[in-house]
Amino acid sequence: MGSLLPLIEKEIKDLLRDPRIYIGLLAPILTMPILGLVISTVMQSSIETISREGIKVAVIDLDRTSTSREFMGFIRSLGLNVSEFPPLEIEDAIKELKGSDTRILIVVPNGFESNITSFRKAQVNVFFIVKSTGLTSIGIFSVVENVLNAYSKALVESFISSKSPEVNPEDVLNPLTTVSYTVVKDRVLKVSPGVLFNQFFMSSGIMVPIVLMLVSTSVAQIAATATAVENEEKTLETLLTLPIGRYSILMGKLIGSAVVAMLGTIIFIVGLIVYFQSIFSLPIVAEEGLTISLELPTASFESYVMLFISLLIAIFFATSLGVIIGALSSDVRISGSLVGFVQIPIMVPMFMVIYGDVRSLPLALQIFIYALPPSYPMLIAQSMFFTELPFEVLLGIPYSAAFTVFLVYLTSKLLVPEKLLSLQHKLLMRRMKGRTMP
Amino acid sequence: MNSFSKIIHYSSKVSFNSYSDVGNNFKIVLDSPILVKLLPLKELNLLNMSVNNGVAVDVRNLVKLFGSSKALDDLSFQVREGEVFGLIGPNGAGKTTALRILATLLLPTRGSVKIFGYDVISQATDVRRIIGYLAEDAGAYRNLSGLEYLSIMARVYFRSKNDALEAVNRAVDISGLGDKIHDKIKTYSKGMKRRLQIARVFMLKPKLAILDEPTAGLDVVHASYIRKLIKDYASKYGITVIMSSHNMFEVEYVCDRVALINKGRIVAEGTPDQLKTFWNASNLEEVFIKVVDIG
Repeated sequence: MGSLLPLIEKEIKDLLRDPRIYIGLLAPILTMPILGLVISTVMQSSIETISREGIKVAVIDLDRTSTSREFMGFIRSLGLNVSEFPPLEIEDAIKELKGSDTRILIVVPNGFESNITSFRKAQVNVFFIVKSTGLTSIGIFSVVENVLNAYSKALVESFISSKSPEVNPEDVLNPLTTVSYTVVKDRVLKVSPGVLFNQFFMSSGIMVPIVLMLVSTSVAQIAATATAVENEEKTLETLLTLPIGRYSILMGKLIGSAVVAMLGTIIFIVGLIVYFQSIFSLPIVAEEGLTISLELPTASFESYVMLFISLLIAIFFATSLGVIIGALSSDVRISGSLVGFVQIPIMVPMFMVIYGDVRSLPLALQIFIYALPPSYPMLIAQSMFFTELPFEVLLGIPYSAAFTVFLVYLTSKLLVPEKLLSLQHKLLMRRMKGRTMP
Repeated sequence: MNSFSKIIHYSSKVSFNSYSDVGNNFKIVLDSPILVKLLPLKELNLLNMSVNNGVAVDVRNLVKLFGSSKALDDLSFQVREGEVFGLIGPNGAGKTTALRILATLLLPTRGSVKIFGYDVISQATDVRRIIGYLAEDAGAYRNLSGLEYLSIMARVYFRSKNDALEAVNRAVDISGLGDKIHDKIKTYSKGMKRRLQIARVFMLKPKLAILDEPTAGLDVVHASYIRKLIKDYASKYGITVIMSSHNMFEVEYVCDRVALINKGRIVAEGTPDQLKTFWNASNLEEVFIKVVDIG
């Protein structure tokens, strides 16, 4: 312990004072809110523009009947800014619209009225003129589609009313009302599972993987770079000639990098929360989110503790991988090109957990997935609000911790300069050979 | 043939053996056409000693293979306690490999190395307690100040806080960096960094300082300063020094004795004056060229 503390102090000071590290750590807390603000401002201004000016729609009425005129009146009443075009050729009309700010052309063909009155399918042709794929365009197109659907529904209601005035058209259109309840732990929520899952996916389903992926990758990067710098500057060589155990040197690096990574994680989570708050501060979404989150049961204290422990083990695991990569690299450039491989044991279990059921996998693959610590924060986040923590989490965390300790042990064995220098030499030779190959 | 005519040479495995007198104080042992050892007579008995007894470094028949390439080829030499010993030779001669083995960083393929009687393989931890090592072009932690770096290294090395504090004060003095010791290392010039590293080695008062190219890449002023530091503090603290260098003039100034190494073998050994006299050369550079030519 005597020699470990100065080594941890060295690691933390050296990392936190490195602009490459502290700028990387501080970036999320600055960029995330700015990003959130920009996105919400753009969305807000798009909505305001649409509601202020109305959506401009050009209509060519080839039917020229009272029904087609009623149709135009209907869509106008729902807020569309309708301008009627003379019966041009479609190509000419589109050409004309390309130069204007109108993006929708609706053509009402001949026979529109006769089809409707004889209960046959009527048709309108809608041309969406795409000028950009921005949020405003997407919003405009979906509003127009909704207006047309509303017209269709209004037609059906009017038919039903004309045929059977005593019947409520709504009852005919939707003869079955479904009231969905979702049971979560000991609570019954008056909400459909789809809505709940969407809300959950936005929080645990997106938050946890993003945090886990970025933190694990950045911690591996930090550890790999720090170790590679030690190789490059030969400071590791110096440390290895001191009368201290290799395990102390390794633990100093692991704990130091992990502390810096935890700090980065906290900053990142704060940034992410601000980001989500900025985006979802739009009235409708915020209201829905609030209703649901108030109804959701909270996760137990134990599950938060388990989440924290599993994150800690995952960070240690990623740090060890980073140290291995850094130790094998004689300079920072080599470590930079190798650190991508660290993504494999981080991403594989994460996606397996997100998109599949680990229990349905072959046993060998399960043993592999459960050995990798990054699996557990995902497994815990998926279940902590809904059920008790599954037994594979309770058993698996010690298993993955043991696997991590084994990895740390292997890493400490690697910190024998004889092996290290030989491996670095081999790696360098292989790279040089690769470069000189015709 | 006088009374010094019979010399038992521990490392001789080559059939060719000859000797001759040069002056009254030393002998030359030729155990191959290219190996020349100039040994003061009073030290001849050391050759057969198995424990340190005045011998700081005892390297015997050292071989180091990297794959199929031979970095060290039956290397043997001794360094006496309190001596400043220079290993000189061209790039790739095996100097750094030899020093890394001494510093317990690399394992020998064959042969033995003892530092003050401790074996570098089986007693590596004991060896690490008595050595200070400076790697070629060794850097330090860029974002720490010079003082923080020294303090951390001292606290890692010494168990007692007082010892560590004393060592740091010593190092500050040795480095001669003044107030700059509080600045971050990334602001230091190459020469200042090397002064810091020399201070880091000598603050430990190791029994053996292993310095790999301590002045490589430095300007004349800093190189001269470093040489003086090595000479002064080795003498002041009674530290045995083994250093490598390309610079023959430097070696002549700093080292009590030198070994010329080429292709992993010692090709000549002795004090700078002995070597110059024997090879009829005005400086060690000339000696080296003549020795290598013969080889």
